[in-house]
Amino acid sequence: MATAHSLPVTAEPTTTGGARLLILLAAMPDEHLQEVYAQLGQVFSPSDVLIAAPETIAPSANGSLRVITAPQSRPSWVLTAADFANAHELAVAHSAEAVLLLGPEANTLQPSTLTALADAVLTAPNDLAVPGYDLSPRAGLVNSAILFPVTRALFATRPRYPLAVDMAFSARMAARMANAAQRFLRMNQGEAQLWPLNEAAVAGFTVTEVMAGPRKFAQPADPDLNKILPLLAGSLFADVEAKAAFWQRPRQAPPARAMQHQSQAADGASDTAAMMQAFRLAYTNLQEIWSLVLPPNALLGLKRLSLLEASDFRMPDNLWARIVYDFLLAWRLRTINRGHLLGALVPLYLAWVASHFHTTENGVTPEQHIEAVAAAFEAEKPYLVSRWRWPDRFNP
Amino acid sequence: MTALLATILQDQPLQNATSPYMTNATIWHHMSDALNQSFYRVVTLLIAILPGLLAFFVALVLFTLIGMVVSAILRRALTWLRFDDRIAKMRGDANWTPSSTPIAIVARVSFWANVLLGLIIGVSAFDTSYATAAVLPISLLPYLTRSVGAILLLIAGNIVARFLARSVLIGAVNAQLQYARFLALGVKWMVLVLTAAMVLEHLEIGGAVVELAFGILFGGIVLTLALAVGLGSRDLVSRSLESRVERVGEHTAESAPSPAPHAESIQHF
Repeated sequence: MATAHSLPVTAEPTTTGGARLLILLAAMPDEHLQEVYAQLGQVFSPSDVLIAAPETIAPSANGSLRVITAPQSRPSWVLTAADFANAHELAVAHSAEAVLLLGPEANTLQPSTLTALADAVLTAPNDLAVPGYDLSPRAGLVNSAILFPVTRALFATRPRYPLAVDMAFSARMAARMANAAQRFLRMNQGEAQLWPLNEAAVAGFTVTEVMAGPRKFAQPADPDLNKILPLLAGSLFADVEAKAAFWQRPRQAPPARAMQHQSQAADGASDTAAMMQAFRLAYTNLQEIWSLVLPPNALLGLKRLSLLEASDFRMPDNLWARIVYDFLLAWRLRTINRGHLLGALVPLYLAWVASHFHTTENGVTPEQHIEAVAAAFEAEKPYLVSRWRWPDRFNP
Repeated sequence: MTALLATILQDQPLQNATSPYMTNATIWHHMSDALNQSFYRVVTLLIAILPGLLAFFVALVLFTLIGMVVSAILRRALTWLRFDDRIAKMRGDANWTPSSTPIAIVARVSFWANVLLGLIIGVSAFDTSYATAAVLPISLLPYLTRSVGAILLLIAGNIVARFLARSVLIGAVNAQLQYARFLALGVKWMVLVLTAAMVLEHLEIGGAVVELAFGILFGGIVLTLALAVGLGSRDLVSRSLESRVERVGEHTAESAPSPAPHAESIQHF
């Protein structure tokens, strides 16, 4: 059984009613909340932490935990702008040194992950600590295909899961995230996604990744890929566009990640057929739209891909990297309506997923392939920078 | 009698002798008169139209110049007020972001609003000058005056048709409908036919014939699409209904043990 983890002593004592660590919990069912309370009670000393939850339910496992009511935010499957704003507000009100934000289904996190996250920002000079989950080969595919490679290549950050689900951050990082969240809150868009890794990179803050075990991820209320993928990709593209002045400068690539997760290949044969069919249907129908976004070379690559047999269906990593970058450029240039643009990306993403499954069925572990994809994104970054600066230049 | 015949015989050669000269002179005279009158009419028409045309061009040029001045003033004033920064702060990273800066948009809108105003005033001036010129035919001007609205309708219709066609195409492809292109084409032509009917009605061309033709065409397209979608997605609908029935069955049979999941499903997020 885990024992209560006493947080390291600092020079300045916490103020009355305050806490060194503020733990903000996302909205979740009561039974999940009780499980999280039990885990927190096991690993943290009650005097060090203050828990804020949207609904105040007395913790049944450990009554000594201090729980306050957090402002209500709309339930979401990831952390939203409203969560970050609330975290900063509560951290300031209770003079917290750091904040631990836990997303939905946080009851499936290992207790050691909670302490590791807290220690990473309280004892080490880190401003942001994010978990490196042990993902199933069939989970988090949008993250593996787009979010992780783009974030790593452009912002030179290492963490494998840039989507905000769980994290710990310092007070100054909380202030920065709250500032970023305010732009959305002013427009009554509290459910908007923020990209903490990008914010930390731009601010020059220190980021670390804490190895976490497996975690069950909450799924969107309407898990329609055609809706969620454009939403996520659009949010990331907008953030990349807003931070263009930062990522265009050359940066040292992060060191290669150690392969902690050697998950087995996914058995996706039955699903890849449907994905390849979706891609081929799109290839026959969406050529007119893709030709507005993609250069002839990429279109040729897609033509070759559409002609491949199911067993040989592999999308080259550099082709995928260029496709994503071309869509990012089209987003910036508004070549076509942005809703249409991101809708046209969905079949290409499905083609990548099918290709990923085929690749991993032939001796390559999923993590190795995703690392290769990320490396391809890094290698193609000069192409993005060049076209970002001179979009009208001849591009074969 | 003899005297009468003698008179006739005497007069006839005289007439034959003088006729060519007299006829040529009369025709030339008549032609000259007709040409003069035609020329006079053309000049009169031109004179009647010219003030209207002049008024049209003066109004257009004047309002274009005013538009340029207003646009420049607005551009300077808004730059001084840091309008772009204020809008950026208010807007944040909203999904809809136009391709130009807010100042450029305001300046452009003000310029084109003035040009449009000049166009409308110019056409009205032309209309007024035309109405006073009674000699002009009354068949051309109504089309001219309504042509501005008709052109705007046509442009808007084309934009809407293209937007909707792309939306339907992408949505249908992502829903994996085999007839996606056909569906998009149908939607595009429905909007274009609707636009054409509106333009013709705006120009008051065709009257009831246009309405009738539009009704037949529109109805035909809708019927074709309905048949195509209905026949094409018959299997899809039946599968959907079957799965719904199965789900209802699962909900009602509460005591039945749930089958074990045989494979891990794909989680894209």
